[in-house]
Amino acid sequence: MTQDHYREKIRGIHDFIKENLYFNRPDLEIKGEKFNSALIFSLLTGLNKGKELIIGEPGLGKTTSAEYVGSLLYRIPIAIIWGAEVSGHPEQTEEKIIGRPDLGKLNKGTEEVVWSHFAQIPVKIVDEINRLPETKQSMILDGVDRGNWEYLNEMIINEEYCLFATANYQDRGTNTIIAPMIDRFDVVIESRHPGPNIAYLVGKFNEKDRILRNSKAENSIHKILKSKLSYQTKLRQMEEVCDDYGEFLKKKLGIETVGLRDRKAIHAAISRLELDLDANAFTRMLLAELSFCYKYGQKRSIENCEEGCHFTGYLCHDTTNCASNRLPTSIKTYSQALAWMIGDTVVGVEHIKAIMPYTLAHRIQWREEYLSNKERNKRDNPFQIYLAKDAVKSIFNRYGEQSEHLKSALAVGYRLFKGEDLEPVDGDHPVYFEIKRDLGLED
Amino acid sequence: MKNPFDDFRNHRTREREIPLDSIIQSRNKVMSQITKGYEKLLEEEVKELVWLVQYNTVIKAYTLAEKVVKEFEYKAEDIEEFCYELDTTDKIPYLITGPAGIYISALCNYAQEEEITLKLNDLKTQINLLGYRLPVGKKVSVEGNLGDFTGIGMEGGELGVEGNAKNYTGAGMKSGRIRVTKNIGLHTGEWMMGGEIFVGGRVRGLGKIVDGKVYEDEKVIYPRNYRQSNVYY
Repeated sequence: MTQDHYREKIRGIHDFIKENLYFNRPDLEIKGEKFNSALIFSLLTGLNKGKELIIGEPGLGKTTSAEYVGSLLYRIPIAIIWGAEVSGHPEQTEEKIIGRPDLGKLNKGTEEVVWSHFAQIPVKIVDEINRLPETKQSMILDGVDRGNWEYLNEMIINEEYCLFATANYQDRGTNTIIAPMIDRFDVVIESRHPGPNIAYLVGKFNEKDRILRNSKAENSIHKILKSKLSYQTKLRQMEEVCDDYGEFLKKKLGIETVGLRDRKAIHAAISRLELDLDANAFTRMLLAELSFCYKYGQKRSIENCEEGCHFTGYLCHDTTNCASNRLPTSIKTYSQALAWMIGDTVVGVEHIKAIMPYTLAHRIQWREEYLSNKERNKRDNPFQIYLAKDAVKSIFNRYGEQSEHLKSALAVGYRLFKGEDLEPVDGDHPVYFEIKRDLGLED
Repeated sequence: MKNPFDDFRNHRTREREIPLDSIIQSRNKVMSQITKGYEKLLEEEVKELVWLVQYNTVIKAYTLAEKVVKEFEYKAEDIEEFCYELDTTDKIPYLITGPAGIYISALCNYAQEEEITLKLNDLKTQINLLGYRLPVGKKVSVEGNLGDFTGIGMEGGELGVEGNAKNYTGAGMKSGRIRVTKNIGLHTGEWMMGGEIFVGGRVRGLGKIVDGKVYEDEKVIYPRNYRQSNVYY
């Protein structure tokens, strides 16, 4: 099957959800095509084996949008996804999230783990993650990051998985999401109110949840997950049931879905998409602004950026923390997935620019003065996403002014690194200083 | 360690073109052509660094200048720039005001624009012979002072000078108008065959005028017995 066929199927899933399950306004335009950010990013997360934090007011479809995407993209009956969801609350335990000892066998003196559905299935949804106390968030760090789930002396590794976590806005019952956890999310998106007219339609169709139900497939998968088979065998058996569920979806709803092998082929094709030089240089420019400090060598959240620095016009002055190494990975993989979804053969600045704000919004910590200056501005997005979009826009303007100059600086950097006798290209932006640092030529 | 700039190994440097750069580039090209034309004129006409204003030499120089300026395209503002090039840079070997004036006159006479303004207030040297053979329908306005032989042999155009002009202004002119807002030197209108010279200030002396009119401060000073209409003595 060609990539065009796969793309057609994924677009079919997108359109089916848009038309039948998750009603919302388009709020994102990419290369002339309009999408709803929550829906498109959830699909990209599923395709990309990514991790997505969905924020929004209660009842605006944060969890359900993830459930629909997970069910259709991975051919998992929706009831299995419901059953595997972890809900965030203060009394949550490792035993409920990851696994527990088999008490029957433990009585006989044998240690054996009964893994939770959450740990086993590839679509993982943590509902209201910020209701988990900080200490309990640490329990799922490793599993979230690498797909390694450990309990007692046993471990299962998810080869293919994606994670959706939802978070309500801060109230008395919520906690902050710890920094290492928040950084593990590739993107943050808001599930927005669709407006009164579309919201009226949501209320009109209340049978939505039922159309993705299939008791036979649900029971079969439930049995497999409960069984004592090895995890690999369970996955193989589950895939067979999922294929049958795919056939059911095709017959009942007329929607074509993709199996494990198809998803692997799609993922491989996405990974092969190259970033063009502008996308590459633009990303470097952004990373430079988010990690550079002229005085202290790099951004550190424990050090303050003082007034009077030459670089006060750049983002490094307005932020307090340093960009993590997960950021460029998130930007790259999601931009690749977006380019694939649109049908482009190369990742360009347009894709990067569309993705960047959602990869940055939850990762940047802004200075208080900066927040005070901006908080009353008119906007159409949650504050963090608005700030990230604004930041990307300003960096893109700077990039527009010096794109050729920067690419030349990087090309000269390549030749200098090889040992040629040249003068490095100077410029008034942190990225030029970082190039010199890489070459050991900093003043 | 892997070269962190490897993605850019095949990138060829291409600096962004700023519109001003291309304007300057095309301007430089035009200026170079104008300058080369002037150098050619000097080579032919000034072999011994001496150039005398004689009837034949002026005609010969102008014929050559005409030929040269027809070979390239230029605009009115290029003429003004050339005047300053002549005055300030060392790119042009030597400024001899006679041939320079003939050459600038040819540039004016063959320019596409009908009206040409030359702002020469800051020029250190006063250019001679400017306005030579100015044809019918052309109007040249000069801001600043001019040297000798201004507007000689004019054929019908209009030459305005906001400043002074020196001796032999309008000599041999056949038709057209010269307006000088300030003073004018000796031999004004020498062998003038027609046309009018208006002087806002003082005329130091008239030449041997054949025909035409010379005004000083709106009063006719040549011909002396000319009676203006509606002015009764």
